[in-house]
Amino acid sequence: MEEGKSVTLDAKAPNTIEARDVTVAFGEILALDHFTVDVPRGMIGLLGPNGSGKSTFIKTVLGLVKPTGGSVTVNGLDSSVQFMEIRDRVGYMPEHDCLIETMTGIELVSYMGRISGMTKNDSITRGHEVIDFVGLGEHRYRPISTYSTGMKQRVKLAQAIVHDPEIIFLDEPMNGLDPTGRDDMLDLIDRIARSEKSILLSSHILPDIERLCKDVIIISSGRAIVQGDLDDLMSGDRERVRMTIRGPPEKLRSFIDQLSRVCAVLTVAEGFRESIVTVAKVENSSEIFRLAKTEGVQVRSLEPDRISLEDVFLKAVKGVA
Amino acid sequence: MMGLSPIEYHPWNGKRTEHGRRFVVIAESILRRSIGSRWFLAVLIIGTFLTFALPIIFTAISPHEGLVAEDMASQLNNGVFFIFLLILAALVCSDLIAEDKRSNSLVLYMSRALDSEGYLSGKFLGAAATLSIFAFVPPLILAVTTIVTQSGSDYLSSVEVLGSTLVAGIWMTLLFIPLGLLISSLTDKKTYAAVATFMIVFVLGIVAGLFAENDVNWMLLGPQLVMTLSIDAIYGVDLPDGMNAWLLLLACIAYTVIPMAVTYILLKRRE
Repeated sequence: MEEGKSVTLDAKAPNTIEARDVTVAFGEILALDHFTVDVPRGMIGLLGPNGSGKSTFIKTVLGLVKPTGGSVTVNGLDSSVQFMEIRDRVGYMPEHDCLIETMTGIELVSYMGRISGMTKNDSITRGHEVIDFVGLGEHRYRPISTYSTGMKQRVKLAQAIVHDPEIIFLDEPMNGLDPTGRDDMLDLIDRIARSEKSILLSSHILPDIERLCKDVIIISSGRAIVQGDLDDLMSGDRERVRMTIRGPPEKLRSFIDQLSRVCAVLTVAEGFRESIVTVAKVENSSEIFRLAKTEGVQVRSLEPDRISLEDVFLKAVKGVA
Repeated sequence: MMGLSPIEYHPWNGKRTEHGRRFVVIAESILRRSIGSRWFLAVLIIGTFLTFALPIIFTAISPHEGLVAEDMASQLNNGVFFIFLLILAALVCSDLIAEDKRSNSLVLYMSRALDSEGYLSGKFLGAAATLSIFAFVPPLILAVTTIVTQSGSDYLSSVEVLGSTLVAGIWMTLLFIPLGLLISSLTDKKTYAAVATFMIVFVLGIVAGLFAENDVNWMLLGPQLVMTLSIDAIYGVDLPDGMNAWLLLLACIAYTVIPMAVTYILLKRRE
C-alpha cells in the first residue's frame, strides 16, 4: 500500500478556511462577490437566503468551481493548486439527491471510501463502521432506490465521513427529515463534532444552527456579511434588560405601570399570569426588585436582552438588501 | 433507531493510496457490476457461443496447417460478431455517464480526490475490461487453440498472426467505447443511450453503403466497415481497390479520439 502525496498541514492554525476577495461568476450572475471570510475550527453555521452563495462557497473550497479572482486556503493548502490534497481531507454531504441508487448503502459508502484512497479491506470495515454510526442497521444491504429520505440522508452523511476527513461540509443535512429524523441527524452531527472535526453546517433551520454551532457566518448576495461567535451575535443590545414576571394579571399591570416611572419600558409580552418585559438598562436593579415586592409580583428572571438568531439573520440580510 | 448507547465516531488511521491509482476503483466497479448483470451475461454467452465456441471446437478437432491471417480476419469480420460486439458495447457504455447524470452522483466523485481525467479513465478502463471478455479473450483462445493443434511446422508465422490477433483484439475492444461514452454523456437515460449507440452505428453503416457505390472511400463512414477494414489492415490483408489507407486511419481516429475528446469537454463543462 502506498501512501498518498505527503502534504504538510497547518493543523494548529486558528482558521480551517481562509477566503480572500473570492469572486465567482456564472455568466452574468455573480455568485461570490469579493467574498472574504475566516472559518475558525469547530462547528460553524453557514447561513444565507436561497441563492446567496453558500453552496458556491463550499464548491469553491473543494475546487469544483474555479474562482475568477481571490484565493482560498484550507488548512494552509491553496484550493486552486492543491485541491486534490484538500479533497482527501474534506468530506462533503451535498444538499440534493446524489446517491447511486443501484448500489446498496454499504456498497456506496465503501466504494466512496476506496475512491477517497482507502484500500478495499479498509473501506469495507470502515464502511460498516460508519453505517453503524449513522444508524442505518440492516438496511445497509438494500438498494438505495428503496430508501426513505431519512435513510438517504444518513447514507449521504456516511459517505461524507467514511474517509475520516478533517473538515466536513454539510449542506442542508436536515432537508426532508421529520422531527425525529432531524433530531437524530443533529445528534449525529454533534457526536462527529465532538471528535474534534471542523464542521461547516449550512442550513435554513436557524434553531438547529443555534443548537449546534459555536460560530456563524451569514452570507448574502455573494458576500459574507456577518461572522463571529454566536453568543456574541445574539447578546444583542447590552443597554436593554429582559425580565420575566409572574403574578395576578391586575398586579402585573400595576407593576408595569409603576416600572415605567422608574425606567423606560420598551416591550411587554403578556401571557397567562406571566409577562416578559424589556426595559432600558437601569443603573440599580434593586429598585426593580423593591417595586416587585411592593406590587406583589415575582421576578422570575432578569438578564441582559438576548436576541434570537433569526433576528440576527434578518437584520443582517435586510441590511444588505 | 439509535439505541440506548449510541455508537461514537471513531477516526480512521489508515494510509491513503496514490491519487493516480484511484480511477482503477471505478473500472473495477464497472466490471463487477457488468458481470453481475443477467442481460450482459446472456448476450455474452450467446454471442460467444455463436461466434467463437463452435470455431474453437471445430479448429481443435479438424486438421489444419497453422494459424492463417486471412482466416482470423474473416472470423473477426463476421457480421454476427459485430452485432454482438455492438450490443455489448451499447449495454456496457449506456449507463456509464448517463446514470451518474441522472442520479447527480457526479458531485460525489468530483468532491473526492479524483479529477475529470481520472473519472473518465476509470469509466473507459471499466468498459474496456468488460468488453475484452468478448472481443479480446475468445479470439485469443481461438488463435492459441489453432496454434496448439496445428499440424504444420511453421510456428513463426502462426505466432506472427497471434500477435496480430492481440492487436486486433485490443482494437475491437476499444473501438466502440468512445462513441458509447459520448452518447451516454449526452443523456441521463441509459435506455436512450443504448438505443442511440446502436442506431447511430447502423444508420451510418446504411449511409456509407449508399455512397460507397460512387466511391469506395465512403465505406469509411460506417463504423462496421471501419472495423472490418482496420482488422484487414492489422492482419495485412489487402484493402479494397481505391481505398485510401490514410483515410482509414483518419476514420479510426474520428471514431475514437474525437468522441473521447468531446466527452471530456462535456464533462469538464459539467464539472
